[in-house]
Amino acid sequence: MAETSFGSVRGRLVQLGRAATAVIEEYGYWVTLLGESLYWIVVGPFKRRPVRLSATVAQMVSIGIAAVPIVFMLSFAIGVMLAIQGIYTLRQFGAETQVVLGIALSVVREFGPLITGILVAGRTGSALAARIGTMQANQEIDALRVMGIDPVRFLAAPVFIATLVMVPALTLFSDLAAMFGGAVYCQLELGLNHVAYWDQATSFIVINDVTQGLIKSLVFAVIVALVGISNGFAVTGGAEGVGRATTRAVVASISYIVLADMLFTYFLNR
Amino acid sequence: MAYQVKKDSGFSVVHLTGDIDLSCSPEARKSILDSLAAAQPTLVDLSAVTYIDSSGVASLVEGYQTAKKKNLEFGLLGVSEAALSVLELARLDRVFPIYASLKDRLAKNG
Amino acid sequence: MSANHYAIEVEDLVAYYGSRRILDGVSLQVGYGEIMVIMGGSGSGKSTLLRHLLALQTPRSGSIRILGRDITTASADMLHELRQSIGVSFQGGALLSSLTIGENVALPLREHTRLDDSIIEITARLKLEIVSLGGFEHLYPAQLSGGMIKRAALARAMAMDPKMLFFDEPSAGLDPVVSSELDDLIIKLRDTLGVTIVVVTHELESAFKIADHITVLDHGRILISGTADIVRNSSIERVQDLLHRRSRPIEISADDYLHRLTGG
Repeated sequence: MAETSFGSVRGRLVQLGRAATAVIEEYGYWVTLLGESLYWIVVGPFKRRPVRLSATVAQMVSIGIAAVPIVFMLSFAIGVMLAIQGIYTLRQFGAETQVVLGIALSVVREFGPLITGILVAGRTGSALAARIGTMQANQEIDALRVMGIDPVRFLAAPVFIATLVMVPALTLFSDLAAMFGGAVYCQLELGLNHVAYWDQATSFIVINDVTQGLIKSLVFAVIVALVGISNGFAVTGGAEGVGRATTRAVVASISYIVLADMLFTYFLNR
Repeated sequence: MAYQVKKDSGFSVVHLTGDIDLSCSPEARKSILDSLAAAQPTLVDLSAVTYIDSSGVASLVEGYQTAKKKNLEFGLLGVSEAALSVLELARLDRVFPIYASLKDRLAKNG
Repeated sequence: MSANHYAIEVEDLVAYYGSRRILDGVSLQVGYGEIMVIMGGSGSGKSTLLRHLLALQTPRSGSIRILGRDITTASADMLHELRQSIGVSFQGGALLSSLTIGENVALPLREHTRLDDSIIEITARLKLEIVSLGGFEHLYPAQLSGGMIKRAALARAMAMDPKMLFFDEPSAGLDPVVSSELDDLIIKLRDTLGVTIVVVTHELESAFKIADHITVLDHGRILISGTADIVRNSSIERVQDLLHRRSRPIEISADDYLHRLTGG
C-alpha cells in the first residue's frame, strides 16, 4: 500500500514537473518568437530580406478593418449598458447627471481596451492558430524553411506589425463607439443633449486616461499575436491538432488579456 | 559572362559568352531588349555559352515575344550543347528559330 | 579533399526522437550528378534521415556535409545561402495554399533574386511547362488533383535551378502512369542539368528504375548501400524480404509476447 501511494505521489510530481517544464518552454518560445520578429522587422531590410509589405497590409485589413463593424456593435452596447447601470446607481444619490464621468473614465481606461482585446483574441487569435497550424500540418512551414524563407519573417513578423498598429487603433475607435452608445442612452433617459454630453466627457478625460488604455492595448496586441502564432507553430497531428490549437489559442489569449489587464490596472494606478 | 553587340549584314548580333546565371542575366536581357528597342532585327549568338540558367532562358523568351510584338526578326545562333539541353528540357528548341551561324541565316534568304 | 568528391556526405549520424533512437550511426555518400534512392519500410528512419539532410532537425551526433559544407554547424546565413541551391519536393506537395500555383513557383525567385517581374513570371511558367502544367498558373492548390500538386511542387523545387533535388515519396498516391512520367522526369533532370538527386521512397519499381545507388535503411541502420544491382542481388535476408515484400517473421519469444499483451 505504502509503495502504491508513494508511487502515485511520485507520479503526480513527475506530471507536475512536466507541466511546469512545458509552461516554461512555452514562455521561452514566446521570448524567441518576439525577439526574432523584432529582429526581422528591424534588421531584415538591411539584409535585403525585409518583412513583406503586402502580407503586412493584408494582416492589417483582416485584423483591423474587418473587425470594425463588430467592435462598433459591441462597444456601443457596452456604452449603453454602462449608462443604464450608472444612471441606476447614481439615482440613489440623486446624482444621475454625473453618469457621464463614470462612462467616460470606465470606457477609456478599461472597457475600450478590454473589449477590443477580447474581440481581437477571438477573431485573430483563432485565425492565426488555424492558418499557421494548417500550414504546419501540411508541411508548408517546412517547405518555407528549406526554400530559405524564414517562417518567422514570412508569417509572424507581419502579424506583429499589424496587431501593434491595429489593436490600439481599434481601441480608440471602440472608445468612441462606447461613448456614443452612452450618449444615445443618456439623451433618451436624461434628455442630455449630445453637445453637453461630449463637452462633459472631454472635460473629465485627461490624456493620461487615454494613454493608459493604449498602453494596455499594445500589451493585448502582443499577447494575441504571440499566443495565436505560437499555438499555430506548435501544431502536431493533422486536422485535429489544428482544432485543438485554435481553441487553446482563443482561451489562452483571452485569459492572458484579462490577467494582464488586472496587473496593468493595478500598477498603472499606484 | 561577357557580351558584345555587333552589327552584321543588317542584323544586330548579341554575342553572349560564359555562364549566364542569376548574377548576369539581367545584363544579357538588357542588351537584347536594347537592340530590339532600336528596331534592329536581333540574333543572339549562344555558341560560346557554357551554362545558361532559367533566368537567362526567360530573357530569351521575353526577347522573342518583344520582337514579335514589334514585328522584328529574332533568332538564336550556334546554340551550344550546354544551352541546347536546357532549351530542350522546356521544349523551347521548337519555339525559337535556331541557326548554326549568321552565314546559315543569310543563306536562307537565298 | 573528399569534400569535393561528394555532393552529400553523412558520417555516423545518430538521431533521437525523445528518448527513442531513430538513426543509429548512419554514414553514406552521394556523388555529384547521381540519383540516390533511400529505401526502407515505415519506421526504418528514412523520413528522419531526410529531415536531417534538409537541416530541419539537428542530429544528436555525427556530421552532414551538403555541397561541401557541414550543415550541422553552419551559421544561419550560410544555411540560407546553401538552401538556395537545393530544391525539395515534399510528399504532400506543401504548396502554400494562399498562393496560386504560379505564385508558389515564383516565390523563391521573388524572395531570393532581384530579377525583373516579367522574367520571374516567364521562369515560373517555364518550370510549370517542364512538369506539364502549362496554363495552370492561375489556379490555387486546392483546385488541383494530387498528381498535379506533386508536379507543381517539383516546379517550385526547380525554381532556383538547384544543384540538388530532394524527393519525399514522389510516387505515393499517384496512378502508375503519372508516377512513371515523374520517374522519367527525374532521370531527365539528372541527365540534362546534372542535378544531384536524393529520393526517399518505399516504391520498389520506381526505385530500381531511377537509382544509380540505393541505400536500404532498417531500424535506423544501413542494411546495405550500393548500386542498384548490388542491392538487387544482395544475399542479406532482410533485404530480400523487403524486395519481395515478404512479411517479417515474429522475432520474439512466446513469453515476451504474452508479457506484452497482458501488460503485466
